[in-house]
Amino acid sequence: MPHYTARSRVLASLLCLLALAAACTTSQTTSSSGQTLNVLAGSELKDLAPVLADFQKSTGDVVAMHYVGSLQGAEQIVNGDPSDVAWFSSGRYLSLLQGTRQRILAQQQVMLSPVVLGVKHSTAVGQGWVDNPNVTWRDIANRSKAHAFRFAMTNPAASNSGFVALVGVAQAFSATPDALQAGDINTGALKDFFTGQALTAGSSGFLADAYTRQQDRLDGIINYESVLLSMNASGSLHEPLDLVYPKEGIITADYPLMLLRPDRRAVYDRLVAYLHKPDVQRRIMTSTARRPAIPEVKPDPRFPNRVLIELPFPSSLDVVNRLLASYLNQIRPPSHTVFVLDTSGSMDGSRIESLKRALLNLAGADASLSGRFAGFHNRESITMVLFSSSVYSKRSFQLGETGDNSGSLQEIRNFVNGFKAGGGTAIYDALEAAYQIAGTARANQPDDYYSIVLMTDGENNQGRSGSTFLSDYRGWPASWRTIPTFPVLFGEGNPKELHQIADTTGGTVFDGLHADLSQVFKEIRGYQ
Amino acid sequence: MGRFLGLALAALLAVGVVAAIGYSLYPRISGSAPQGLHTVRGVIGSEKQPFFQDPEVVAAFHKHGLDVQVDTAGSREIATTVDLTRYDFAFPSGVPAADKIKRDHKARATYTPFYTPMAVGSFQPIAKLLQSAGVVRDAGGWYTIDMKAYLDLVAKNTRWSDLPNNTAYPAAKSVLITSTDVRTSNSAAMYLSMASYVANGNNVVQDDATASKVVAQVAPLFLRQGFTASSSEEPFRDYLSIGVGKTPMVMIYEAQYLSAATARDKTLTPDMTLMYPSPTVLSKHIVVPLDSGGDQVGRLLTEDQQLQQLAVKYGFRTSNAGAFTNYLKSRGAAQPPQLVDVIDPPAFEPLETMIQAIQQLYKGS
Repeated sequence: MPHYTARSRVLASLLCLLALAAACTTSQTTSSSGQTLNVLAGSELKDLAPVLADFQKSTGDVVAMHYVGSLQGAEQIVNGDPSDVAWFSSGRYLSLLQGTRQRILAQQQVMLSPVVLGVKHSTAVGQGWVDNPNVTWRDIANRSKAHAFRFAMTNPAASNSGFVALVGVAQAFSATPDALQAGDINTGALKDFFTGQALTAGSSGFLADAYTRQQDRLDGIINYESVLLSMNASGSLHEPLDLVYPKEGIITADYPLMLLRPDRRAVYDRLVAYLHKPDVQRRIMTSTARRPAIPEVKPDPRFPNRVLIELPFPSSLDVVNRLLASYLNQIRPPSHTVFVLDTSGSMDGSRIESLKRALLNLAGADASLSGRFAGFHNRESITMVLFSSSVYSKRSFQLGETGDNSGSLQEIRNFVNGFKAGGGTAIYDALEAAYQIAGTARANQPDDYYSIVLMTDGENNQGRSGSTFLSDYRGWPASWRTIPTFPVLFGEGNPKELHQIADTTGGTVFDGLHADLSQVFKEIRGYQ
Repeated sequence: MGRFLGLALAALLAVGVVAAIGYSLYPRISGSAPQGLHTVRGVIGSEKQPFFQDPEVVAAFHKHGLDVQVDTAGSREIATTVDLTRYDFAFPSGVPAADKIKRDHKARATYTPFYTPMAVGSFQPIAKLLQSAGVVRDAGGWYTIDMKAYLDLVAKNTRWSDLPNNTAYPAAKSVLITSTDVRTSNSAAMYLSMASYVANGNNVVQDDATASKVVAQVAPLFLRQGFTASSSEEPFRDYLSIGVGKTPMVMIYEAQYLSAATARDKTLTPDMTLMYPSPTVLSKHIVVPLDSGGDQVGRLLTEDQQLQQLAVKYGFRTSNAGAFTNYLKSRGAAQPPQLVDVIDPPAFEPLETMIQAIQQLYKGS
């Protein structure tokens, strides 16, 4: 889920509540029409809000969207989430995860968008990739391995576009012409391919924004065709993206609307019927750059009129989970994460306890599926910078290349369990210390992935000021300045201060005021 | 002890199914049937839901004093796990499921108001490619696909790009018909029926021993596809909207294609075509009455001229071949060929043996 601003998220939840409240009153006054459909949805569907508002106008039914990461959403549904409908860019992970539980009672695809590669125009010209139908995923892997192609892709354990791309690339690199089995995962070729992954994110929308911000150091981005077309139309790219549809094939997201509760069938059917109207399909195509899902409406000229080979998709949850685990533990560039943690006096009591729990969960205490994917992985470097009136502790942990990390994880848990609250709040001293650590590490290992998490529950009242930090920041080399900081708004943290840090460094603020801190940390992991 | 446990589990399962169905029925039970009408409840295969929801169908039943309420379930489920005591009739697809229900519930008569042959939705360039490969024959406006030749291609792990002179569809993936999930869906079970007949030397599989032997040859048709959809609507929708890149060949009911071909909105493109498997099977839609109300539904569906005509509108064939032909003509749709090479599907038990064996292979893969 993207967090462009904490405020917008708070606003969204308020609107959600208002929508629910409104629905409750109407359902009391009118008996048959005007029902509320609670939808657990992927954040990329936010752009359909105007369409859903018009559905409400035409039927009286309210669609209340609740956004969640795709894999976590699937897990919630299988564990009995009470939502009426699930709506993600793909329903396959949920289909595999539900096994024989049959949570999905009906599904209808709403629109289509293949996950493809956008290549910066000058790079595409240089590689001979412009309008070239013979470009393969292998070609891209070769350039990537040679450090001649740097690209952005979302975290496959957090976002569907990255997930679908990973499955597609793994299929393309396998020797089999059939759906992937565990033995077909070609880790070597995948490592070559992902050598060039220089930017990640927990959502497709944030990835597009982050690419735009860092476009001068990147060559391309993997995302939905719709997002790439919208980026080209946005006017904020220095160079347009050429869309490459690799020859081995692609996987198309089909945005199925999935009914979860039998007693909601009628309102579900009304929503499907509305979304499948030809004029609504045309409107969705025009405004979101996704292809229509009904054959009566033909794709407009923005979409290349050629056959896109669709790759098969595994039939086994085990294969998919193994692929995700390989990606996180072996394939992706290793991650360096610096946690900058406020242990000032105000953190005493429940606050420091929830911070501890959030970190313990990442260090192996959360055994759920999403918890395991969000946890610390092989090859990862974790540094914790503890501060109150000043930085008083810096401790790094290195997870092993392979296999059993229980020793390192235990060390992390022991360290976290020793946290104690007391003293003032020196945010910027601590943040500078974090950049010193991450920036120095990056000089030695430039291909790894770096990010900083800043957790504070108060305003800066010790050490250097925000303006000093900002002027120091401007003097740092580019390799430091492209390390994003993800501040967590908590307690009496100052939203203005934290947004300034996020905006300056290319991060985004996460809201720890209205969500469980463990949940927030889990979500941030998608951006690391 | 083991038997007791099995019974207990079965009982638990039955309670679960009742609970699930009860839940879905609740809003309707609370609302009463239109005045003077007798409510009849059925559990049907999902492909017939649009038919039962059609206002003209509802009105036709009302005329005879019946308010017909239906729940949907997979035909295999209807024959095995669904508690039928709540229903007046079952309306699965396929003879195997219907026979099992008839036997289990000692139904006296069954009705087959309509049927539809299995067919492969495809595209002209694909049909032509397979024609040069000797797998497909032109049958004058339509094609027939030789299942034996097709199974041989699959057994050799042929990719599309391996086919000679293939510039039309040079995909590196295997030549495979897209089907639904054989573990849940009747249309895939019908596909399995055809394939197992060919693999068994052109004989219907009649016993468990043969079934077990044949599985090794037919299981790859399903396993190699990877992810498959659970209902017959989904792959057909992919065929219509995503097209040849995803589903160059899709196993469907002829009715699905004809219903699209006769629809007012142009959902079929000119390069779409049907290939009839040789041999093919008929997917018969069979009403198994569980009481007199259900018997009346079966009789009306079979004998009422209006209901018969409405079934034709959904692409189904009825005993009145003329009605089918005339309707297609009136909608400007091409007439499908006379089917000559039609076989019977296996009985429920050998079919179930094959499906369960494939299910085990899925678990192991």
